[in-house]
Amino acid sequence: MIKFEDVSKTYPGGQLALSKVNFHIEQGEMAFLTGHSGAGKSTLLKLISLMERPNVGRVLINGHDLGQIKRKQIAYIRRDIGMIFQSHQLLMDKSVFDNVALPLIIEGHTRKTITKRVDAALEMVGLREKTRNLPITLSGGEQQRVGIARAVVNRPPLLLADEPTGNLDPKLSMEIIRLFEDFNSAGVSVFIATHDLGLIARMKYRTLTLKGGRMITDGLSQQEEGWS
Amino acid sequence: MSLLFKGRQQAANQRVSLVQRFFMFFADHLRQSVNSLGELYRIPFASLMTIGVLGFSITLPSTLYIMVENTEQVTDQWQQASEISLFLREDLSDAQAQQLMKRLSSWNEISQVDYISSKQALEEFQRLSGLGEALDYLDKNPLPAVVLVVPTAKHATPTAAGLLLDKLRKEREVDIGKLDIEWLERLYSLLSIAKELVYLLAILLFFAVVLIIGNTIRLNILGKRDEILVMKLVGATDAFIQRPFLYTGFWFGLLGGLMAWFTVTLILLWIGWSLDEFMQQYQIQLDITGLNIKALGSMLVLSILLGLMGSFLSVRKHVNEIEPK
Repeated sequence: MIKFEDVSKTYPGGQLALSKVNFHIEQGEMAFLTGHSGAGKSTLLKLISLMERPNVGRVLINGHDLGQIKRKQIAYIRRDIGMIFQSHQLLMDKSVFDNVALPLIIEGHTRKTITKRVDAALEMVGLREKTRNLPITLSGGEQQRVGIARAVVNRPPLLLADEPTGNLDPKLSMEIIRLFEDFNSAGVSVFIATHDLGLIARMKYRTLTLKGGRMITDGLSQQEEGWS
Repeated sequence: MSLLFKGRQQAANQRVSLVQRFFMFFADHLRQSVNSLGELYRIPFASLMTIGVLGFSITLPSTLYIMVENTEQVTDQWQQASEISLFLREDLSDAQAQQLMKRLSSWNEISQVDYISSKQALEEFQRLSGLGEALDYLDKNPLPAVVLVVPTAKHATPTAAGLLLDKLRKEREVDIGKLDIEWLERLYSLLSIAKELVYLLAILLFFAVVLIIGNTIRLNILGKRDEILVMKLVGATDAFIQRPFLYTGFWFGLLGGLMAWFTVTLILLWIGWSLDEFMQQYQIQLDITGLNIKALGSMLVLSILLGLMGSFLSVRKHVNEIEPK
């Protein structure tokens, strides 16, 4: 599903963010990406969502080289990737419903389909009763769940999450991860970047660890050598 | 369709019929245009200022243009009356003069020829000058016979009449030919200068309008920066993001155009009242034109175009620049 081939990324100014990164996440897999802040997690996710382009190497999604994607096509690529952010990235002056409906409106669905799908997505994240609320009136965990509903509302085959549990307590974090597990069991590939090691330790998922832009481990979460 | 995943159904799924999609397209645009209008309504003061700039910028050249047009219409009436006076040689007999008249009336540039013999001319002069019997003391009539030539409408313009005059002067019976249109020519060239100035002014003002609208839209875009970032993150194309701003430009144009039309109408009514009196004195027929539907239509089209141009320039540059990092 996601394949990195000798990917390096240097930002203008000479800061090396990623160096010769190789990995392959299979279709239907759920994996974590971890490492200290500044290790290159965000850069790696940005390369997948085409916010950045690699200097060297290739990034492939479902066998398609993202290097071949033109600027005009980026929007269409992002419709295939559900993205979840630590800062939620919600529109604060729009209702929960409108926030979740945004990807469907952009794709040009009918009113009927939009209502049906948004309701279903909000049901899944347990926010059916808050449809008309403004995001500002919701708690941090609820806001994150609105973000997740928006990411899955158009049923993308791939979910990317950047520190989805960043500001949440362990119990809420676990709930969010359970949600991801639900989507994963429905066949969606899930890739989560987090520095919450305690969270990962409780689960047996493949974990990729970055350090100084290099991929130092790639395996089950118990193997944490080389971390500190 | 999805670029990465074959067979993944995205936008308006295939089950939607073509007709339905056609209506959805318009419903979508209608909704977005109404939304844009609502945005303007939510910030009435700022919107009115922009609409005002647009309205007044179109009012000024429109009013001037209409005045120049109307002035031309008035001078057209004056030209219809333009006459060429031919003073005949003194040694000419009445019979020879009649012969000339006959020849001239066959010319197709000429619609009417009148003959005033030197005797008639003297009588008229006596009557009008108030010199009365004093003129009886002259031993010889000093006035020549005159032929008054009225050119046809087609040959009444200053240049055509000038050509006709040159031709008439070549007739051997004619001593002096005179066409009193020099002042008209001067007025004519003044008018064409005025017209060009109006065009120049209009172009400059239109430029200013485009820039002002562009800047207003730029501020709108920057104000919605966060929203645009989020929309780009969830896969909105530039075209989709641009559309509401283009509609804002459209509404600025439409409302500005209506305002300009309203203002021009008021100005023309006001000028009309003060002109009426003047016109009656000079017995000139003038209905001020410019208040008709055609003028409204072209003003609206123009101002909508300006609004769209301004927003298009701004949107092209600034929406592209906002990219999620």
